[in-house]
Amino acid sequence: MDYRVQLAKRMLSNKKGSLIGAVLAVSIGILVIHVNFVIFQGLYDAIVRDLSSYRFGDVLVTDEESFITKSDIFLVNWFERIPYVEAATPRVQSSAAINVTKNGKLIEEFRVPVIGVDPFRDPRVSTAHETVTDGQYVFSRNSVVVGSRVVSDLGNIKVGDSLQIKITDRRGEDQIRRFIVTGIVTSPGGQGLDSEIIMHIDSLRDMLDRDGETGEILVKLNDPDKASDVKNYFLRTFPNDEFKAETIEESAEAALSGFRSGIAMINMIGYFGMMSSAFAVVTIQMMLVSSKTREVGVMRAIGAKRKDILIIFIVQGMMIGALGAGLGTAMGLGYTFYAKETKMTFAGSIPLEVSYDWEKVIQTALMAFSLAVIASIYPSYKATKLQPVEAMRYV
Amino acid sequence: MSDIVLELKNVNRVFGQGDTKVQALDNVTFSVKRGEFLLIVGSSGSGKSTLLNMIGLLDKPSSGQVFIDGTNTTKLSDNKISAFRNSKLGFIFQFSNLLADLTVLENVMLPRNIQRTDQNAQKQAIELLRSVGLENQMHKRANKVSGGQAQRAAIARGLINHPAIVLADEPTGNLDSVTAETVIQLMKSMAKKLNQTFVIVTHDRHQFGEVDRIITIKDGRAFEGEDVPPKMELTV
Repeated sequence: MDYRVQLAKRMLSNKKGSLIGAVLAVSIGILVIHVNFVIFQGLYDAIVRDLSSYRFGDVLVTDEESFITKSDIFLVNWFERIPYVEAATPRVQSSAAINVTKNGKLIEEFRVPVIGVDPFRDPRVSTAHETVTDGQYVFSRNSVVVGSRVVSDLGNIKVGDSLQIKITDRRGEDQIRRFIVTGIVTSPGGQGLDSEIIMHIDSLRDMLDRDGETGEILVKLNDPDKASDVKNYFLRTFPNDEFKAETIEESAEAALSGFRSGIAMINMIGYFGMMSSAFAVVTIQMMLVSSKTREVGVMRAIGAKRKDILIIFIVQGMMIGALGAGLGTAMGLGYTFYAKETKMTFAGSIPLEVSYDWEKVIQTALMAFSLAVIASIYPSYKATKLQPVEAMRYV
Repeated sequence: MSDIVLELKNVNRVFGQGDTKVQALDNVTFSVKRGEFLLIVGSSGSGKSTLLNMIGLLDKPSSGQVFIDGTNTTKLSDNKISAFRNSKLGFIFQFSNLLADLTVLENVMLPRNIQRTDQNAQKQAIELLRSVGLENQMHKRANKVSGGQAQRAAIARGLINHPAIVLADEPTGNLDSVTAETVIQLMKSMAKKLNQTFVIVTHDRHQFGEVDRIITIKDGRAFEGEDVPPKMELTV
């Protein structure tokens, strides 16, 4: 082993307090970034996951102007022939005025969003049916499933109660029907259909007077990374139908653009934290240089060049950086593992979508290592400026 | 190979300027032959440590020239001076100044490691440690051995590169009289055995007994012998 590396190692290991302080400074900087990533990127991914699962699928097809008039069966079958596609389902959306009566007495009337789903196809694409906490999902034309927020707005209606729904059709005429509540949905974090009423797609089409028309087609993929390919293939296949197709990132753009800026800001704070840990490394390295003034003088006296002294302290910085990056990455991955295994939730509600972003893990470790080395340059340079005669006065 | 290993020509060293100007060395001229065991003596503040720093290339003269082994060192660059110190000079300091982070053996090998001539370095270092009676202490950390042992290790370190001159600055200043005597005898025996030039700065001339030559420094001026004749400047 080169004597400079050996000396750097010994000097550092014999100053355990400084070594631990510097390594912790670097590693905590990394840990902060990992924790930020797990929480905020996890929350972002969880929202994307839920939007995809409940509302948009991996690819969402709509009509640029109004409703899709092409047969939903034709479109669903077309999509399901693509190997990347797991399933597709049509949906119709509108809004309704509802009132609820209990024991023949009107409790309240207000407007809510209504979603019409295909009871057989929808569960293959969306996980909305998994959020039923009471009763069961939509199964017949005269049944509805009510979101938990609507339930409380309506005075805590129960499964089995009847609900009068008023929808204005395409001609402007009100269509009123009574439905039986067969289920109540509540999703973790409220990202599901908690504020909606879900009914059979054909019932909604009837009330809207849009027989055979579809509001949107949700497409679920085996491999979500192929969303752009599927979308482009679809648009190329139907160039004259005024279809609009979007990936989940595009569909959720409006909902998530602000959130993404927030994540960037939080990450920036993390990187500032890492930079402040670099200042800690500078301070500790200055202390190390200061405590080794006599040794530097002796080495210079017996022939060590300035370059040799520089290398010794830079190697120390590299060791601090490597140990700090290693420890910080280990702690960060440990936290990520814990978050993933315990299905950590954000503020006790939405389960975080925890993933290992190896590119980011390596990038963060390399950045911390580089900062520690850069932070060592000035103290090392100061060490090279020590004159042997001056340095050896520090006995 | 010339018989003269060290030559100082009209060396002056001035610190400060104006009212604070101090002439630490005043026109010092002398030369030293290979194998000489030379003492530089003088009272505190006489300039003997400044002179040693000039010879050790740890400081540069304000004017004049220092020749070591025939090389005019005053014109060398910083890197060349480092290399020159490493190959031509051995240092023994008052407080041994071994590196506490290394073992005794590693300290002795250090000048060779710096020189990048590691071949046989360990073997030679062990031989030297054996000759100074430290073969049983070589793997101990430098800060775990006694002052006398550390100073003996420093002598071994000073000799490992077969330097032209070994410079010692108050090598016994930090030792008790018995240990000091051991260290002095060791330096003398090494000087004889290896025909090694030693230039030793001390304020206690009597500790060293019989030596080849003595130079006395007084008020920055160098005089041959122990007694300083009034107004007589050294010429060799």
